[in-house]
Amino acid sequence: MMRLRATHAKWALSALGLAVLTGCASVSLDQNINRVNVEAGSFTEGKLALARTQEESDQRAQAAQALLAQPLGQKETVQLALVNSPSLQALLAQGWAESADAAQVGRIANPIFSFERMTAGTELDLGRALSFGLLDLLTLPTRYGVATRRIEQSQLRLTGNVVDQVTGVRQAWVRAVAAQQEFQYAKQVYDSAEAGAELARRMQGVGNFNRITRAREQAFYADAATRLSTAQHQVTASREELVRLLGLDESQAQALKLPERLPDLPKQALDPQAVGSLATKARLDIRLAQAALDGAAKAQGLNMVTSFTDIELTGRRNTTFDNAEGTRSTARGWEVAVRLPIFDWGGMQRDAMNARTLAAANQLEATARAAGSSLRESYSAYRTAYDVARHYRDEVVPVRKVIAEENQLRYNGMLISAFELLADARDQVGAVTAALNAQQQFWLADAALQASVIGRPTNTSLSVTSSAPSGGDAGH
Amino acid sequence: MTSRRDFFKFAGIAGGAVAASAVSRVSMAALPEPVIQSSPNTMAPLMPNSGRPYNPVVTLNGWTLPWRMNQGVKEFHLVAEPVVREMAPGMKAHLWGYNGQSPGPTIEVVEGDRVRIFVTNKLPEHTSIHWHGQRLPNGMDGVTGLTQPAIPSGKTFVYEFVARRPGTFMYHPHADEMVQMAMGMMGFWVTHPKAKHPLIDEAQRDFCFLLSAYDIEPGAATPKVAEMTDFNLWTWNSRVFPGIDSLNVRLNDKVRIRMGNLTMTNHPMHLHGHEFVVTGTDGGPTPKSARWPEVTTDVAVGQMRQIEFVADEEGDWAFHCHKSHHTMNAMGHDVPTMIGVDHSGLAKKVNKLIPDYMVMGERGMSDMSEMEMPIPDNTIPMMTGQGPFGSVEMGGMFSVLKVRKEQKPGDYKDPGWFKHPAGTVAHEYTGPMAEPARFSAEGGQSMPRVRKPATPTEVKVRKPTSHGEH
Repeated sequence: MMRLRATHAKWALSALGLAVLTGCASVSLDQNINRVNVEAGSFTEGKLALARTQEESDQRAQAAQALLAQPLGQKETVQLALVNSPSLQALLAQGWAESADAAQVGRIANPIFSFERMTAGTELDLGRALSFGLLDLLTLPTRYGVATRRIEQSQLRLTGNVVDQVTGVRQAWVRAVAAQQEFQYAKQVYDSAEAGAELARRMQGVGNFNRITRAREQAFYADAATRLSTAQHQVTASREELVRLLGLDESQAQALKLPERLPDLPKQALDPQAVGSLATKARLDIRLAQAALDGAAKAQGLNMVTSFTDIELTGRRNTTFDNAEGTRSTARGWEVAVRLPIFDWGGMQRDAMNARTLAAANQLEATARAAGSSLRESYSAYRTAYDVARHYRDEVVPVRKVIAEENQLRYNGMLISAFELLADARDQVGAVTAALNAQQQFWLADAALQASVIGRPTNTSLSVTSSAPSGGDAGH
Repeated sequence: MTSRRDFFKFAGIAGGAVAASAVSRVSMAALPEPVIQSSPNTMAPLMPNSGRPYNPVVTLNGWTLPWRMNQGVKEFHLVAEPVVREMAPGMKAHLWGYNGQSPGPTIEVVEGDRVRIFVTNKLPEHTSIHWHGQRLPNGMDGVTGLTQPAIPSGKTFVYEFVARRPGTFMYHPHADEMVQMAMGMMGFWVTHPKAKHPLIDEAQRDFCFLLSAYDIEPGAATPKVAEMTDFNLWTWNSRVFPGIDSLNVRLNDKVRIRMGNLTMTNHPMHLHGHEFVVTGTDGGPTPKSARWPEVTTDVAVGQMRQIEFVADEEGDWAFHCHKSHHTMNAMGHDVPTMIGVDHSGLAKKVNKLIPDYMVMGERGMSDMSEMEMPIPDNTIPMMTGQGPFGSVEMGGMFSVLKVRKEQKPGDYKDPGWFKHPAGTVAHEYTGPMAEPARFSAEGGQSMPRVRKPATPTEVKVRKPTSHGEH
């Protein structure tokens, strides 16, 4: 037990307190959200905020209501998700919690005050001790470094989760709008088939058709009806998917209006150079792996010491009242406790740290290597979808239009029958639906590419659609 | 003739090396200048300016080929070549023909004439000419491979024979014959008698034309040469109604009409208002004892018929093939009958998908000629032709014999519509109507069926009613 002079002790303590107060790592919610907004602002094209008060909640509800007043474009849908989605709010809160936990590492442990009261006969002994983890203090700068890296990590993770959510919203929006359009076309086919079936029924009624010919026309109709039901369900399913991702309540879901059609293809597809240059700057996945490595490396330095020893500094002040004597005496002093690494030199812990650092380093390497590859893949998916959709727009659909126009002329000239005209019109709709599908594929691939560029690759698979075969011939 | 030149280019692309098959002017020098006809109109008869005189024919929507007299030989020059033929105003076809048209020009000679015909081949493939019905040396018969080598692309061959028999003949290729005839290669040939002939009367009007059929997809211009039965254009001299000129004659003219059939089916040719006799075939004049009055005569495939009558009834008399599908232009042969089918409420539904859809055929097919809606380019409506009382609703093998008192001899101009004497046109009856006695009993039958149908078939007659709004 060392004994120091009180003045020294006071000075030492206050110095220590200063050090503690200035050197602590801390993180606030706003910092966290700002970070996400800075990182992913250009991606989300909007600002995130976590509502903590009733007032803030009301503001957000109003913003959502304003957005819901109009049919929602893709961009507005993302805005709505940002202001309205409870799951995004949950993400933010979760992220804040993680960051705060991470910050904790860089804070100094609170001193322990102990008080003891002992009586022995006429003596009363009051002991007070204030102990600090000395190693805690000594390693504070290092721990601060570790904490900031962990905060960084958690913020990047949060950003990544937000990006995922937004990508999901974008794709769900594309699916919901496309489903509506497909339903419209399915309805047209159904109407035409129904008209054909009805006409055939009347034909049989007056003896111009026999049963089999009428039945053939009827068969188209049955087929069209089932396809219409499926399309109808698809509208509901894809819309509900979007409703869930946006976190709309009943009344909001009622109010949700979507545009009638998908946006037109952009005039030009992004070229690979442009995409490449965007991507290399700030990929989330690479930076997340980098942060993990930095954190592990920083922690390793710390663990060199902390893994096998610990030092505790305690300031003591003991007052002894001698009731018999009527005197009191005070004893002050310092106490340093050191954990002796006799049994454990911390080898295992250090091994674990080394291994973690090594793992993180390799993880970074793997991520960096995969990044280029996945970007190439999603660019290819994007580019292919664009080319296919454009081919449909510029080649397939115009050709189909010509066929439709010519068939109308052939019908006018009594070269083909109303039934052939109707069958052909259904054919044309098939081609238009395939074109629509190609457009949908493009917008899905576009969302996936954006995610890939920022460094959250999602699954990019293209489905192939083929347009209906052209059939039917007429004339002499 | 830019259209011909353009078509030449086209034909070149289609596989004929036009440059290689072009005939140099030097090699042409010894030949009669080929005469090319660019108009599809009926040309005035060609009065002979050399050789024995005769009374020339009029080729419907065609012309007669001039000749050159060379030391007593009539020299003609036929050029086999791709042509553009207007089948009716509003439709042009890419055909093969002779001297700018399909069919080729009519060749008119006199019995006993020595005839020399130069044939220049400007087609992408070889050809030959068979002189259908003629008596001639076997080697002049024009059958590729059998009586002569084919005329290669770019070469000129010469045929020479004496026109021994007076009568009605035709010429057509005998090389890749199916294709070349499906493309329109044919022409008429008339050998006039050199003196009065007991079986050949003098006629004031002598018309001739060939029957040919094509399958040209509506909107296209080139025939489908592989078609065997389902042709959609039934033509006289590669023309379809309303593109066929009328036969304009003077009252009491003796009229002769010569026809040859180069389609793949027979054509019962029917004339209104007169009886005629068949006075000859491609085999020659018919004996008088074998002639009987007719108003319809069948012209079978590869046959020629020559009919005569006195046009002693004034008016506009229809003259046509009696197969009703042959008096139609391109049409759908596979369309269901829409007659009597109530369409109410359906058109609106269909319009959602097909905005220009209109109901047709509910009352019959005359909707077609009443509406005349837009149809594919380069196509003639299936039934059309504006007459003095409305649409004639015809197409294909249909024309009009116009008999007029005022028509000058030798004048072939169209005199316009017939002015009917008062009270001689069918008109609406507006007087009282008695209920007609109706037929009430079905006929019996010789014996009952083995099995009776489970339910008796009910057929309701749907009386025409006023047309609802569609």
